[in-house]
Amino acid sequence: MIKPTLVDQYLAIFLLLVVGVLFAAGSFVASATLGPKKKPSGAKVAPYECGIVPDKEPPSRFPVRFYLVAMIFIIFDIEIVFLYPFAVIFRQLGSFGLVEVLIFSVVVFVSLLYLVSTGALSWGPAKRLQSGMPSRTSESTITRITAEADGPSTHQAA
Amino acid sequence: MSALAVVTAHSTIVLPHIRYLAILPEIVMLGGAVLLLGIASLVRRPLRVTVSTVGTIVIAGTSLGLALWQWADISSHGPYTAIDHAVVVDGFSVLITITVACAMILSALVGDGYLRREGVDGCEFHVLAMVSATGAMFMGEANDLIIVFLGLEIMSIALYVLAAMNHRRAASGEAALKYFVLGGFSSAVFIYGVALTYGATGTTNLTQIADFLSHNVIASNGVLLAGLSLLLVGFLFKVAAVPFHMWTPDVYQGAPSPVTGFMAAVAKAGGFAALLRVFVSSFGTLQSDWRPILYAVAVITLLFGAGVALVQRDVKRVLAYSSINHAGFVLLGVEAATAQGVSASLYYLFTYTFMTIGAFAVVTLLGRRGDGHHDIASYRGLAGRQPLLALAFAVLLLAQAGAPFTTGFLAKFQVVDASVNAGSVPLAVIAMVSAAIAAFFYLRIGLIMYTPVAGKGFLPGIEPLDDDEANAGPSGESETDGTGDAAPAELSAGNGQRPVWSGTEGAVVVRTQLNAELLLDTAPGEVQVLDPSEDIVEADAVDDETAAESAAEDTAKVPVPALAALAIGLCVAVTVVFGVIPAPLIDFAHKATLLFIP
Repeated sequence: MIKPTLVDQYLAIFLLLVVGVLFAAGSFVASATLGPKKKPSGAKVAPYECGIVPDKEPPSRFPVRFYLVAMIFIIFDIEIVFLYPFAVIFRQLGSFGLVEVLIFSVVVFVSLLYLVSTGALSWGPAKRLQSGMPSRTSESTITRITAEADGPSTHQAA
Repeated sequence: MSALAVVTAHSTIVLPHIRYLAILPEIVMLGGAVLLLGIASLVRRPLRVTVSTVGTIVIAGTSLGLALWQWADISSHGPYTAIDHAVVVDGFSVLITITVACAMILSALVGDGYLRREGVDGCEFHVLAMVSATGAMFMGEANDLIIVFLGLEIMSIALYVLAAMNHRRAASGEAALKYFVLGGFSSAVFIYGVALTYGATGTTNLTQIADFLSHNVIASNGVLLAGLSLLLVGFLFKVAAVPFHMWTPDVYQGAPSPVTGFMAAVAKAGGFAALLRVFVSSFGTLQSDWRPILYAVAVITLLFGAGVALVQRDVKRVLAYSSINHAGFVLLGVEAATAQGVSASLYYLFTYTFMTIGAFAVVTLLGRRGDGHHDIASYRGLAGRQPLLALAFAVLLLAQAGAPFTTGFLAKFQVVDASVNAGSVPLAVIAMVSAAIAAFFYLRIGLIMYTPVAGKGFLPGIEPLDDDEANAGPSGESETDGTGDAAPAELSAGNGQRPVWSGTEGAVVVRTQLNAELLLDTAPGEVQVLDPSEDIVEADAVDDETAAESAAEDTAKVPVPALAALAIGLCVAVTVVFGVIPAPLIDFAHKATLLFIP
């Protein structure tokens, strides 16, 4: 009697496994059958640089800001993970739960405040850079002057 | 949606009674950190270092005061568990809280001068350190494996960021990344151990685990032992015991020096607190299983830490390996698994906090701007330049070596005594041998500090260049390298008090020729003039220009900020005063153990 129930319990997991494997295999098969057969020529995969044939790898520039936003998103995403179960049972938790969640929210809100104050959420060139660590070089100063051209200097003179 | 509402409508949730007084030191510490962060975010300019430091000291001081109040409370009313038995307030936890709060105050004092010197505004150092300290406090108070894990993560994640504080130094980022990756891995191992322990015993509560194990005999305890060993791996990583020590030297070297001192004190206090509570009280009935493992770990930790430190040239690395050696000593107390062992370990952790933060405070000052001058050669002649600083460092190093009349000696004595009483005599002997090995590298730093710099000798008869050595050519140039390792007596043999150049003309010529290539504005013809006085002047000028860092800066006095001096003074005072008058502190640790509830 026990054996059938065990099978019942794990049947769903087994089916999920099978479906997963089938989906992965199916994706490969589909892309192989539906995709273009001809391999792209060398000229097609080469990076475009004003029509000149590049003789070295072109510098690929992308803003680091995307990573920052992604990390910040994760932090506040986790906040939702905690808030959702609270919202479901907040009547049972009563005032205690409300106070605890408020405290939690305040802590997360302060971290948001910090992010805003350091300019982590401002798009475009950074308006306010944090005053830096040790040896100031002319190069770093130039970088900063460029960055702060549109705002007052906020960091302390060394 | 409605189905969920039906399911939840009839069930009632039993909320635990929250006794906020039990976690008040932690609340103050964490709340203070959040408040400081909020204020720093709202003011227009980056928060001044002074404001952050004062705020941190006030917050950590309040936390310390509350911990002392808790101590008075449990002394009269006895220890208790709170919040559904998830945290415990007993002598053990209060002592750890006091240790961590002291470490926080001292680190804030040291960090003040560091942040000023490096020109860092803002509150990040202080806020992260306070968050990390909160985690360590929770590790001491935890009575549930989940709370242990929570404390471990709060402490570690803040430490990862702190290690990367100095983002201009690549080494700092490298250290943080190493620490983060390995630390994250060890946390995963730890939580897997928690899961297996839960699977074997049906609870994560430490008291209930102890109850379960004392009332039940598990026929096949493979899962439990696997969980036990995974927990052990997690803890041993945090306290840097030997098979899991790989991160320690790199992270200690790469992290900013005040952070290193804080990390050494707080991570050890938190890690060992949880290790002691989980193993000695919860798994006390499984002693025969885990004591041999700790025995082996302690032996290799002691010997490896002391042995490898001997060949290090970087003072921060020396101190990192010495901290591994110290971890071995605390493991002695854990391995004993007796009340005396717990008491000795607590005493060790408390006194080690002061010794290590004081030592790293001196290293911070001597690192100079940029925090880079940690080669042992730059410590030469410190006693001549700044006798008080050298004396303080010497005292702290001697204490770490276990010299009598310091707390370091008493700490070592107590763990060894506990180990002997628990029957691990060979381990105790190995510990003493390792202390003797370790004494060598502490004394080496001390000797170098009291060896004068070339040409500026305050002891007559010691000169930087032997005739033979100088005539041998470019190797004679090593003014800052060779002589410290040789005994002063050997150097004083032949030279008397001649001026440096009188016996070393050959060397001067060689050096000048070598250096001429480096000088852009000196023609080779000028260099060939064989007038010794001119040559030496030129050679010195070249030295100053080419080796500006090592020659000129290393002999310059380092500024000693008042707050850092206060921190070092406090550390030395605690180390010496309680070394001479041992009774109060030993009684404190002993009483903390008496108030220990398993």
